[in-house]
Amino acid sequence: MRRILGLREAGVYYALLLLVAALTAVTAALGRPSYLSPVNLTNILYQTAPVAIMGVAMTVVLITGNFDLSVASVAALAAAVNILVIDRVGFWAAMVVSLATAGAAGLLNGLMVELVGINAFIVTLGTLTAIRGLVLVVTHDRSLMVGTPTALNAMTSFESGRAAGLPRPILYMAGFTLLIWLVLRFTTAGRRIYAAGGNPEAARLAGINVRGYKLGAFVLSSLAAGFAGVLYASRFGAMNPTALQGEELTVIAAAILGGTSLFGGAGSVLKTVAGALVLYTLTNGFNVLNLGANYQGLIEGTVLIAAAAIYTVGGRWRAPRLSADPPSGAPDAHQAQSQPAVL
Amino acid sequence: MSSLVQPLLSLERLAKTYPNGTAALRGIDLTVRSGTVHGLLGANGAGKSTLIRILCGATHASAGRILWRGAPVQWSHPAQARAAGIATVHQQIPLVGSLSVRENVFLGRSGWARSGRKERRRLSRLMGQIGYHLPPDIPVAALAIGERQMVGILQALAADAQLIVMDEPTASLAAPERRIVHRAIRRLAGEGCAVLLVTHFLDEVLALTDALTVLRDGAAVVSSDTAAVDEAAIATAIAGRPIHRAARPTARAGADVAAEIVGLRSPGRLAPCTFRVRGGEVLGIAGFLGSGRSELLQAIFGADRSALGVVRVSGRAVPRFPVAAVRAGIALVPEDRASQALVPGLPLWQNITLAHLGRLSRWGVFPRRGLERAAAAAAVRRLLIKTPDLDTAVGDLSGGNAQKVSIARWLCGPTRLLLLDEPTAGIDIGAKTEILDQVRELSAAGVAVILVDSQLKLLLEEADRILVMREGAIVAERMAAETDEQELIRLAAGAPGAGPQGQRH
Repeated sequence: MRRILGLREAGVYYALLLLVAALTAVTAALGRPSYLSPVNLTNILYQTAPVAIMGVAMTVVLITGNFDLSVASVAALAAAVNILVIDRVGFWAAMVVSLATAGAAGLLNGLMVELVGINAFIVTLGTLTAIRGLVLVVTHDRSLMVGTPTALNAMTSFESGRAAGLPRPILYMAGFTLLIWLVLRFTTAGRRIYAAGGNPEAARLAGINVRGYKLGAFVLSSLAAGFAGVLYASRFGAMNPTALQGEELTVIAAAILGGTSLFGGAGSVLKTVAGALVLYTLTNGFNVLNLGANYQGLIEGTVLIAAAAIYTVGGRWRAPRLSADPPSGAPDAHQAQSQPAVL
Repeated sequence: MSSLVQPLLSLERLAKTYPNGTAALRGIDLTVRSGTVHGLLGANGAGKSTLIRILCGATHASAGRILWRGAPVQWSHPAQARAAGIATVHQQIPLVGSLSVRENVFLGRSGWARSGRKERRRLSRLMGQIGYHLPPDIPVAALAIGERQMVGILQALAADAQLIVMDEPTASLAAPERRIVHRAIRRLAGEGCAVLLVTHFLDEVLALTDALTVLRDGAAVVSSDTAAVDEAAIATAIAGRPIHRAARPTARAGADVAAEIVGLRSPGRLAPCTFRVRGGEVLGIAGFLGSGRSELLQAIFGADRSALGVVRVSGRAVPRFPVAAVRAGIALVPEDRASQALVPGLPLWQNITLAHLGRLSRWGVFPRRGLERAAAAAAVRRLLIKTPDLDTAVGDLSGGNAQKVSIARWLCGPTRLLLLDEPTAGIDIGAKTEILDQVRELSAAGVAVILVDSQLKLLLEEADRILVMREGAIVAERMAAETDEQELIRLAAGAPGAGPQGQRH
């Protein structure tokens, strides 16, 4: 029980509660409209949705021991493709084309990393730049707009419509998160994904298709980015070529706030969503309190490092208990895990 | 070594209790004299590692005294132990692969200025001291594991150590490399150094050491001159009970061919290999490190992506990748448990069920927790894995138990062909016996076993038939009953005059 409720295990939930409590108290003290009003909470969830969706898929990539910097560029490409084709083919076909484009980008990432063997950081740094360049090419560096009213209507109902009293993106986020959570938690694929990230060689020698899972994670990440791109395009019925630039860092920050390991084998999609909510609650708090937007980056960065510090120090603090009785041989295993760089 | 001379190191009633209440050492007395080799033995978990950690300053004793040259000392940092003259050669030597031999040997050197010429001269003197020479400028990553062991020893010497603690220096070495390390240890003692040698090899202890201490459950159960004890007495002391082996069932000659390997090869690693294994047969693979033994197993399992050729199990060709191999009933217990077998993030039971998870799942997709835990519990009981519970982190298990986990993994599904790569390396005699008994049981049940082991004696005892490998090719085949260690060494070395394993002169 202590393990489940401990700072390291549940820290991001505490942070979120603390943040909401603090903002509630401050807004109440200043006599502003209640922070906990349904309108405001719904608003935060709505704003979080695209990043949370990408963050959930990013978490899967991180669990498999890889890294995907290209998500924001892929999302922008999907948005651009969406708007370019929607007038001709209609909403759903445009959705399919956008997701296919994004999926192809993910496949490219995955093949470069898993078959050619280039480091994921380098590959996706490359595709981050190249795909953003492709966006500029296909948009001719101009803003794009949807022309036909039918398409615009379909987009609006997809993005701004409500179901069960909530804006739809919140439901998309909840559904996707739940699905991935269930897969990771309750299926053989989930177990194998954790194993493939935790020790790829051991997983491979246990007969697990490690490459397949890692490649699949890249495709999932890009598909999620593509979907976020469609959401973005649908929200405005337009996009400019620099849309979503830098958003990949928010996505990764959300996963890290959620305690996902950058070395693979550990991570939780629910905590990633909580991490994304922390980031957007901060943003929202700045707006509600009318603090200058100038401080925002500073505070967000500080929160991120503070969270990482808690996870790291918390891990070290727990370590002596874990290895309290090093039977001969056991320390070797620890060494092998914690010092991958030495022979 | 007269007893009038003050001992270099004495431990008096040394005890260590960890904060969680585990007593790792319960009052150990131990004396090491200059110019001698002192053997330290014990099962995994007996307290050897804790003792080493205290000696090298990585942890504190909770009671008792350490006398270094007669004066009580208390080290709070490994650097202090090193400065006093105690160097430790760890089992997994922390060397920097990208740096050269010379740079690694002098890695711990303080001061700003470094002179390549001086280091070179010093290094060649040190190499002369242990009677082993390595090219000083090649990167350590290019060295074989035995050569790295020598770099670790040179590192200890470069620090002017008077006591060198060696943690299983020969655990993963083949005979010729082992002989090199043995020679170095003897030279060191001859030069006046003291060596505290931790090992699982009883023949090594008998051949090399002057005195020995056996630990069991944190207490010294035997402290004696080596000349006063024999192998059986040591084995009994380590295990806490006499070790009995059941007679090995001989392979039935008429059994079906379980696996057929035809023209299996891998460019640059493995010359074409063709052979058959019958159900219930134990096929031993002899050969030195780097002779292609592990490569052969990896190729059979489909883990070597560039391997070509055909592997048939029960007459059916198996596609060349591990997923298909597992489905066909091939099981691989790899050489390096930590890096190739165990997944640190998963608890014990999930590590055990990892390979055959699909069989324990509904529709092959949804793991059934109850079935899984029952299968894991059965495997734990069958292999006598010592663990507090099924949820233990695999990193907390001792070496022998960790090895059992990587075997247990294959008991959860139907295994037709079991590939074992050095299954007993670095494992105490009790756990080793249990593992080998399990292998016998499996082969009695009709599983074909291919066993790679550097210990030829063990191969001769466990295998029905032995293939000898050299430079990536199978060079000879012998029935185990019709050959001996000398012949196997000769065949593996390819030199008709190659001598037997090092004896103490």
